Amino acid sequence: MIEARQLRFVYGEFVAVEQLSFKAKPGEVVGLLGPNGAGKTTTMRMLTGYLPPSAGTAIIDRFDIRDESFEARRRIGYLPERVPVYPDMTVRGYVLFWARMRHVRHPHTSTDQILRRFDLYSRRHKLIRHLSKGLRQRLGLAQALVHDPAVVILDEPTIGIDPQQVIDVRSAIRDIGRERTVVLSTHVLKEAEEMCQRVLIINHGRLVAQGTPEELRRQVARVHYFVQIGGASPKQQREFLTRLPGVQDVQADGSGFTLTSGSTDDLRPVLSSQIVARGWTLLELRIVQSSLEDIFLQAVSDPTEARS
Amino acid sequence: MQTLIVFRREMAQYLTSPFAYFIAAGFVLFNSIVFSRDFQSSAEQGIPINPALIPSLISFLLIFFAPLITMRLVAEEKREGMMELYLTAPVSEGAIVVGKYLGAWAYFTLLLAITLVYQLILLAFSPPDIGHTLLAYIGIWLYAGATLSVGLLCSALTENQIVAAFTSMIALLILYIGDFAGQVIGNIEVAAAIRALSLQGHFSTSFQVGLLRLQDIAFFAGIIVITLYLTIRLVEAQRWR
Repeated sequence: MIEARQLRFVYGEFVAVEQLSFKAKPGEVVGLLGPNGAGKTTTMRMLTGYLPPSAGTAIIDRFDIRDESFEARRRIGYLPERVPVYPDMTVRGYVLFWARMRHVRHPHTSTDQILRRFDLYSRRHKLIRHLSKGLRQRLGLAQALVHDPAVVILDEPTIGIDPQQVIDVRSAIRDIGRERTVVLSTHVLKEAEEMCQRVLIINHGRLVAQGTPEELRRQVARVHYFVQIGGASPKQQREFLTRLPGVQDVQADGSGFTLTSGSTDDLRPVLSSQIVARGWTLLELRIVQSSLEDIFLQAVSDPTEARS
Repeated sequence: MQTLIVFRREMAQYLTSPFAYFIAAGFVLFNSIVFSRDFQSSAEQGIPINPALIPSLISFLLIFFAPLITMRLVAEEKREGMMELYLTAPVSEGAIVVGKYLGAWAYFTLLLAITLVYQLILLAFSPPDIGHTLLAYIGIWLYAGATLSVGLLCSALTENQIVAAFTSMIALLILYIGDFAGQVIGNIEVAAAIRALSLQGHFSTSFQVGLLRLQDIAFFAGIIVITLYLTIRLVEAQRWR
């Protein structure tokens, strides 16, 4: 379990994270989503006990990271954004080293188990300098999980690896998240949608939106429609479309218009009946699916507005 | 326990790293050149060789070799982001620093052990004053402990190994030449005070000439304790950056 309580972090005069609170339960993969410099890494560093919060605290599996840092750190597996390795060590030697550093009771057995799990066992005698980037990422995950932590924190776990490896790592993370609390950061929206049960959108160090990808889409999504009308001038069409209830934006789009509606109510029945009532012809009307991308852009463009 | 794990990893790193062998080769080369030169001249003149020859040479060599041995210890870990893993593991900063330090000292001890070959050669020709030699070796071992701790401290000051090496070379050079303060400073009390603070001042007049003085042991131990304490503080301070 992770509970962040009013976390704040200040670098000199720059406030990197401000009043950040959230909870993550066991069996839940929570994604921290935000543009670069939003405060994701700083947040994760506070959760892992690497950076002491300027204010607020976090509870890791019952232990406060400020007052019981040692106990909290025993329960955390951490994969930093850039997997730090000793190039001259063997794969097994490296994982065994971290198993011992984290007080694993049977370090050899645990190391071999985790290497098998991440398909690294056959490469256990290889020097790390000879591993590909994807394998290093798996090694980083093995290192983070060798002590069977209750909480796993992964900073941009799929950055810089090839698409097949991304799929492997994502499936490994879903697997890890079945019995543990996982917090991962990403700026890839698709990744958050695919892997996370819950997404926290952070911008300028503040939580600007949170919920399941589904909820977020429902709650804050703008719905886009494409409409093409015959029998009216573009000016008439634009005037008509702009005056429709709930329409926030009208953009010319090829031979038609793209409407943006702030409401999740379906606009199509009203739209089609009014077009027909005016004696025009409805040539095309469809919903352009809104993605988390829109939610994200909407959320990060308005940092003061927090939604839940 | 964690100190031992860090120590073992550092030792393994020294024993598998090509750079460490390069350092060892350079170290042995310098010692061999000086030893063979002095050995030859003492044989020609029929006078016994100085029992503290190798330790006194090492006391000078350490200005360059201690920084080379220690420069990567913390700087490299910081640059590679490894410190982030160390500091998020359930391990104290003290265990990390002391483990690394002991690793470097143990590696130096191996280098020092290699130079015992010269003493064996001497034993075969003209037995040296074993007590004197032994004291000089104990002295240089402690002296090295102090220089390595200074090197480790400089390594914790930066992320750049080269900067770490240069900083500690300068620091060690100052600590070395402090011994000659009497030759340039008129005021004898000031000169004595500077000398008392130099590393050489606690080696050249005691261990090197076959004397064992508690104050010299205390001085080296003090330097080690203070610099390790400062290094631990510096590593802790990384959390605040």
